[in-house]
Amino acid sequence: MNDMSPEEKKTSKLGKWSRRGFIGAGVLAGGGLLIGIGVRPGNPIGALGPKVAAGAGEQLVNSWVKIDTDNIVTAIVPHCEMGQGAHSVLAQMLADELDAAWDNVRVMQAPADGSYVVSDTARMFAAPFTLNAADWLEPTWDGLFTKLGQSMDLLITGGSSSIRTTGQHQMRIAGAAARQMLVGAAADAWGVPAAEIATRDSMLVHEASGNSAPYSEFASAAAEQSMDHTPTLKTRDQYRLMGRSKARTDIPAKINGTAEFGIDAVPDGLELSYAAVVRPPVPGTSVISMDASRAEGMSGVLQILNMGNFVAVVADSYWQAQQAINTVGIEWSQSESPVKTMDDQFAVFSSALDAAGDTGGDQAAARGDAPGALANAATSIDAEYRAPYLAHAPMEPLNCTAHVADGKCDIWTSTQVPLMARSEVASTVGIGADDITIHHPYLGGAFGRRLGSEYVAMAARVAQATGYPIKMIWSREEDTQKALYRCADMSRMRAGLDESGALIAYDSVFTQRHDPAEACVPAMYDIANTSVRVAEAELHLPFQAWRSVDHSQQGFFIESFIDEAAAAAGADPLEYRLSMLTNAPRHTAVLEKVAEISNWREPSAEGTAKGVAIVESFGTIVAEVIEVDMTSGKPKMTNCWAVCDAGYVMNPDGFRNQIEGGIVFGLTAAMYGELELEDGAIVQSNFHDYRMLRMNEVPNIEVALINSGDVPVGGAGEPGLPPAAPALANAIFAASGTRLRELPIAKQFV
Amino acid sequence: MASFILNGEPITIDVDPAMPLLWAVREKAGLPGTKFGCGIAQCGACTVHLDGQPVRSCSTAIAQAEGREVTTIEGVAGPDGELSKIQQAWVSEQVPQCGYCQSGQIMSATALLRDNPAPTDADIDAAMSGNICRCGTYTRIRRAIKVAAGIEQPRAEQAGEEA
Amino acid sequence: MRNRAILTAALLTVLVTACGSSEQPEVVEQIVVRDRGEAAPAVEADAGATDLIAMGEDAFQMCTGCHVVESGARSTAGPNLFGVVGRTIGGLEGYSYSDALAGSELTWDEANLDQFLTDPAGYLPGTDMLAGAVRDDEERAAIIAYLANQSSSTGE
Repeated sequence: MNDMSPEEKKTSKLGKWSRRGFIGAGVLAGGGLLIGIGVRPGNPIGALGPKVAAGAGEQLVNSWVKIDTDNIVTAIVPHCEMGQGAHSVLAQMLADELDAAWDNVRVMQAPADGSYVVSDTARMFAAPFTLNAADWLEPTWDGLFTKLGQSMDLLITGGSSSIRTTGQHQMRIAGAAARQMLVGAAADAWGVPAAEIATRDSMLVHEASGNSAPYSEFASAAAEQSMDHTPTLKTRDQYRLMGRSKARTDIPAKINGTAEFGIDAVPDGLELSYAAVVRPPVPGTSVISMDASRAEGMSGVLQILNMGNFVAVVADSYWQAQQAINTVGIEWSQSESPVKTMDDQFAVFSSALDAAGDTGGDQAAARGDAPGALANAATSIDAEYRAPYLAHAPMEPLNCTAHVADGKCDIWTSTQVPLMARSEVASTVGIGADDITIHHPYLGGAFGRRLGSEYVAMAARVAQATGYPIKMIWSREEDTQKALYRCADMSRMRAGLDESGALIAYDSVFTQRHDPAEACVPAMYDIANTSVRVAEAELHLPFQAWRSVDHSQQGFFIESFIDEAAAAAGADPLEYRLSMLTNAPRHTAVLEKVAEISNWREPSAEGTAKGVAIVESFGTIVAEVIEVDMTSGKPKMTNCWAVCDAGYVMNPDGFRNQIEGGIVFGLTAAMYGELELEDGAIVQSNFHDYRMLRMNEVPNIEVALINSGDVPVGGAGEPGLPPAAPALANAIFAASGTRLRELPIAKQFV
Repeated sequence: MASFILNGEPITIDVDPAMPLLWAVREKAGLPGTKFGCGIAQCGACTVHLDGQPVRSCSTAIAQAEGREVTTIEGVAGPDGELSKIQQAWVSEQVPQCGYCQSGQIMSATALLRDNPAPTDADIDAAMSGNICRCGTYTRIRRAIKVAAGIEQPRAEQAGEEA
Repeated sequence: MRNRAILTAALLTVLVTACGSSEQPEVVEQIVVRDRGEAAPAVEADAGATDLIAMGEDAFQMCTGCHVVESGARSTAGPNLFGVVGRTIGGLEGYSYSDALAGSELTWDEANLDQFLTDPAGYLPGTDMLAGAVRDDEERAAIIAYLANQSSSTGE
């Protein structure tokens, strides 16, 4: 999306700094203005100018916004667009504070540059319990995290964080700061008080004097304005764009074939060759020998490479490369992993849980005296839950185009972490990060998979070996079988109920804890005695965060087991949950609302039953009710109702789309998601055996939103997922009396 | 070597006749809107029209296109760029998320509505179940097809806080 | 400090998994078949293109995404079609068929293959073969002739 020509890049030079600080401003040669948010003294914001300014006609208003001579406002967004709509909503937030005319707002992907480190995302990961804007604007704190983020290459998109961190703490401030500077410049020029100048639709207006001008007229003069480091942000009643379902800016290109994804990269002036790859079937093994005799004679083949830990065939077209590599005989080294099948993997988990016993392992959370209360409970229940390994399976298979020449490297790829990818390429091909340029267009889905960059380094290695540019594409089979995975896990759970059926003790122990740290804790419920423990066990397959991360399995474990407690108490599962939410008014409101829209308290239609689950994740509370029809003996999902409280929703329709997607993703995994092992290698290979829900299988989905108000804004991309599996399993229990303690579900009803 | 009509224009592509149409269109004809998803006709991301019929171009040899008409996502809009009813509905219902599968979804939906101007839910299931959307936009695709068919009204942009 | 501890837990997970092994092995073997500047060797013209079986083999290329036709080879997405003519429908041992095929007691022959390939879901509702209809009559006949020729009696 950066449309600057190489010539313009050469001629665009920066003048001296006029200001540094939390909000820093710089002047471009030719009078342009450059302001940066979160920029520390010494941070080379100046170097960014040429990368984001299209040329002489444009003014950079700050590192998150520029205004051109046609009064077009461009929001420079440091997050990737992978379907979550962040580009659009972040622009909405900036444009609202700037009082920009929405029709004239454009979005540009920030270049992969250390200056665009998403420092607020670093802070969210670092301090999830202190999401507080006032603290975060404190300069030292900000500097710490910018530096920390840079040292960790943290230009990432994940954790449902774009809106609640970058949007709330940077895009809005950028917009408000730019607006104040433009007003100040106009006030000086017109000789009127700044307070009398109104802004609307990218125009400055002073009614009393009759003066008015577009923003572009004062973009340069705004550089001379002194700046309040904490500009006043709008209150909710002043929003004009935030909270509105503005149409997404990326959709027009996604319906006519013009949207560019990583796999579509056709770099100007480069003749591409194509690479297919084969990676080890069992993680950690390497190539012992390779027989490429058949491939050598196949049409289009240019090179066959044994790269040690993978094999590549380079050809004139991807199809020829893939056809050829299918004929290459490869002998792989033996794996040292004791795990050959999923039974072996669950045995590893089981041993770890056995060793932890009733009280051992690392204590993740504790309240009261769980062991004592369990021993004295009137009724106690226990259960063992299992979750399988899962692949991310984004629709766009992993791919990367790379060119290594003259000590420089150019990369075109779909990634959630362009700077980490750059570091990985740097260490792999021995070229300094400054000589590596990462071009990262739209992502054809990611769901956490593209937080890993091993495929980027692979393409760079092949390009370095060939000396000419190559586009590497993984087959779907490689993508399914040789990637990074949502972990499998096992959880043993115990609960104690008093005579009235109330839950007075809860204990769980499981083997996998990654992110978020609180995912394994049923914190919202009033349970006097709680113990949550981790008994770590080794995974056979490499881990990668998968949409909603630990919530994806913990949501199923916890909310299914709470349902078991309700059943043991003879209580309605929704009313039982409500009875334990006396200190959680937002959760209560969400559950009450989902009861209302799903007609929970009315009898279900003949042959159907409903299940409920509620999970708070990434700052958003989501309750889901799923209705299943079991009349055929197999579960058919008919309806799903979801209610979400994210505090405040910036784009309701976009938010709903994300929740709908999260539900389908969760239900897909619940029904079909499973990777099995044979001799340590994954059995499933493509969509015929790693199945996805299809049009004829998804239920109707209705999503309602609650803006409960004065709390930090919650995420959208992940929170819809965690309640889906338990709500479905609980519905099947309600319909059939069968309690499902492992996933996937479909194969249990063959 | 194969000669055929691609989005209304004659084209000759000199490749192995067994090469799937998908790769010929993407790499040789320079039309990347048709997507690779699975390579085995399971996901529908590569759907194009061959003489008007939706086919999976990843599993259709270019030799099969000889002398026939191929339409890709780039050929769906009118010659002046005017969006088709399906495309308009995809915008009004804000269907895409990542967008990667949507070329194929639109090609399947376009064929459905041409043959069946008022599809039932069962008709939509039958026509669209060969297209996977990993982002899970199915409920919006269903609604958009109905909007394009005139069965449902397009959703106007919502104003104000909705909750 | 509590926040820092969580930072390492949360972020290092991302980093460690992202970085993988820090030491990349060298290129072990590089076979250069041809430089990019060189023209590709001419692919031999197929002398038997007029022959129905050879035509079928060509046409079958569109099926190879899912099917192999090789004695004893492991099935891919679809069942191995070596010897399919004369085999019980849904009868390849070890392949997981849809219910639509698994229960059948019929045997594949040229006639029912023709019906099936004309409209798979119409002939066997519930089949997992979502694509695969061959609408061109001549092409369909050629594919069936090719498959009929690939059986244990003729070898490969």
